[in-house]
Amino acid sequence: MSVDLNADGPADGQSDRSARIEINSIGKRYGDLQVFQDINLDFNEREIVTIVGPSGCGKTTLLRCIDGLLPVSEGEIRIEGELMTTPREGVAMVFQHFGLFPWKTVFQNVGYGLKLAGASKAEIAEKVPYFINLVGLDGFDSSFPYQLSGGMQQRCGLARALAMEPSVLLMDEPFAAVDAQTREILQFELLRIWDMRPMTMIFVTHSIEEAVLMGDRVVVLKGRPSSVFEIIDVNLPAPRDRSTLAHPRFSELREHVWGTLMDEVRAAEFDVN
Amino acid sequence: MSKVLALINSDHRSVRWGTVIFSLLVGAALWESVGWSFNQAIMAPLIGGADHPGTIPRLYKYIVHDEEYRLSLLQSVQLFSTGFALAVVFSVPLGIIMARLATLRVALESYILVLYVTPMIALIPFILSILGFDFWPKVLVVFLFAFFPILYNTLEGARSVKPELLEVAKSFRSSEVAIWFDVLIPYTLPYTLTGIRQAAGRALVGMVAAEFFLATSGLGEELITASRNFDMAGVLATILVITGLGITFMRIAQAFEQKYSAWRGVNR
Repeated sequence: MSVDLNADGPADGQSDRSARIEINSIGKRYGDLQVFQDINLDFNEREIVTIVGPSGCGKTTLLRCIDGLLPVSEGEIRIEGELMTTPREGVAMVFQHFGLFPWKTVFQNVGYGLKLAGASKAEIAEKVPYFINLVGLDGFDSSFPYQLSGGMQQRCGLARALAMEPSVLLMDEPFAAVDAQTREILQFELLRIWDMRPMTMIFVTHSIEEAVLMGDRVVVLKGRPSSVFEIIDVNLPAPRDRSTLAHPRFSELREHVWGTLMDEVRAAEFDVN
Repeated sequence: MSKVLALINSDHRSVRWGTVIFSLLVGAALWESVGWSFNQAIMAPLIGGADHPGTIPRLYKYIVHDEEYRLSLLQSVQLFSTGFALAVVFSVPLGIIMARLATLRVALESYILVLYVTPMIALIPFILSILGFDFWPKVLVVFLFAFFPILYNTLEGARSVKPELLEVAKSFRSSEVAIWFDVLIPYTLPYTLTGIRQAAGRALVGMVAAEFFLATSGLGEELITASRNFDMAGVLATILVITGLGITFMRIAQAFEQKYSAWRGVNR
């Protein structure tokens, strides 16, 4: 990607774009179905926390609660001390389904949040190209989503979230819908961007490798209803790149998480519900 | 043999257009010969001649030399446009509101279904006895013919809006008004335009019916007058005019439909 690592954005990486999030014994129920319960988590400033668990464990639901898209049934979520009830400024989400507006161009999609936030045309014209460049979509400003590959669509979704200059970035299995090679490229791209613009990132994934590669800490969800089974400090050297995948600690952690989740994954596979 | 088949099934422009033109010529020749073999009070040929006034010459006379006929045409177009425009203006917002408010939808759904399948022409005697013979009762007839296809399609479109996109809007803290302009209207537009295309044909029927059964006027009146005078060339010429209007309206709607569904791209 042809992005100058020292590029100066509309806001530089030094401004306080990170937040502290507290999750106090929250639970989520749909009628009789308890999705998760008694979850306590703290997220620090400029920290990447990955949440991993078998499919159906409610990790995506948890993320939607943190974004304020879904109400919690028990407990409370606070961001910078403020109770989270509805989507708030400074928190942006990247969706597994990309969620691009098919009738908007890349430029309009990336500028979507800014426009809603009341940014002026001039401001949008200044910021949007910067973020399009940041995610490596130069030259595709006026393309429509259907003209882009899955990977490029998610780059656009990422740029749309980053353009809000959030202090919290929520990633909902962002690379689950792209092919394996693209996925690897996007993982390192995201880490590179995070290095330039560090913020609190909560990254939900069902891929154990991805969780270990991306996270400063890995939260393992387990059980039905699920709750936090383990929180692992990853402690892999920075910057994380392809060589990280060959690091002994990486394999060790991957095997550890795999061992933890194996029973659950097997159970989920044979769960006909 | 296979070469002939390949030619017949080829998608080439010249083959396609050649086929269209050939088919039209055959139709015209058939019409012409049928026209000549009947009395002029029963059937008129396309081009005609002595004792058999042709439809095309009559059409030419109507449009180019007949001031009164042009006025009738204008009257009809006015009636159609007014009723049709009102139908669009009322049905589109109602369709989207109904998609957003489940209670309203449930409350109105059965009425809409009933009215959608009711032949509107059966309501004309009511409209006549309640509202009389003016311009506006006729507009109401056109309106009723056009309203339901547009409403129905708009509602279907607005209801099928992807929940993921609404979720994105919510996550980015969109207001309801912004949701309409960013999500609901663009998503629904292709459906609405399909409805509008369907409605154009029905509204045309409504227009002629209104001009027949309420105070006769416009092209409907021209049709009745010509038919009373056993002037088959006049009848057929007017039918061609109405058909022409229908094709024009549908083409316009189709052009809009294509323009505003471009984003559907290859996933159509």
